[in-house]
Amino acid sequence: MEVKADRVVDARGSYCPGPLMELIKAIREEDVGKIIEVWSSDESSAKDIPEWVKKAGHELVGVFEADGYWRIVVKKTR
Amino acid sequence: MGKLAIVLASGELEKLQAASIIASVASTLGNEVVVFATMDGLLAFRKDVVENKAWKTAGDLGKGMLESNVPLFVDTFRQAKEVGNLKMYACGMIMDMLKMSKDDFVDIFDDVVGVSAFLGMIEGAQVLFI
Repeated sequence: MEVKADRVVDARGSYCPGPLMELIKAIREEDVGKIIEVWSSDESSAKDIPEWVKKAGHELVGVFEADGYWRIVVKKTR
Repeated sequence: MGKLAIVLASGELEKLQAASIIASVASTLGNEVVVFATMDGLLAFRKDVVENKAWKTAGDLGKGMLESNVPLFVDTFRQAKEVGNLKMYACGMIMDMLKMSKDDFVDIFDDVVGVSAFLGMIEGAQVLFI
């Protein structure tokens, strides 16, 4: 299922914790209910960001592998 | 998770990098994180050292980090202060001993404190000594 993101954060080329930090900044700026997706070429971030999302109490919409990078889609829920 | 305190006593880049990543992620998950830079861990924040990227490295990994695109610990700590609940403190004893002031270091420290003040801040915290 494809969800349209309200905001895309392109953190490709950055390593842990770069993509996570970029995502957190975006989440803080957006309103509750918004969908934010972060692009990461760093595989460990693609695995670790969902862990963070769970702990932080947001909703993981999904992790999608694209051409050489991952799209981690998150819904801000609080 | 509560409160996390990190004592940075090593000036080795690999250790500083690991500490900064753990601290920054912890600080964004509702934990209060307190970092105390002392000994060589404090000197790693000297302006001239940061400008010249003149950190000691344990080996090839650290050298690789300096050459590649990884965010370096100074920036990671700065970012954590922006997005999370993280405070950085410099050790006053080392500054006194070396006749240095806060101005000799990059602008990252919330305050210069002694050991007693630091121990007061970290009551009940989990402590990592790096």
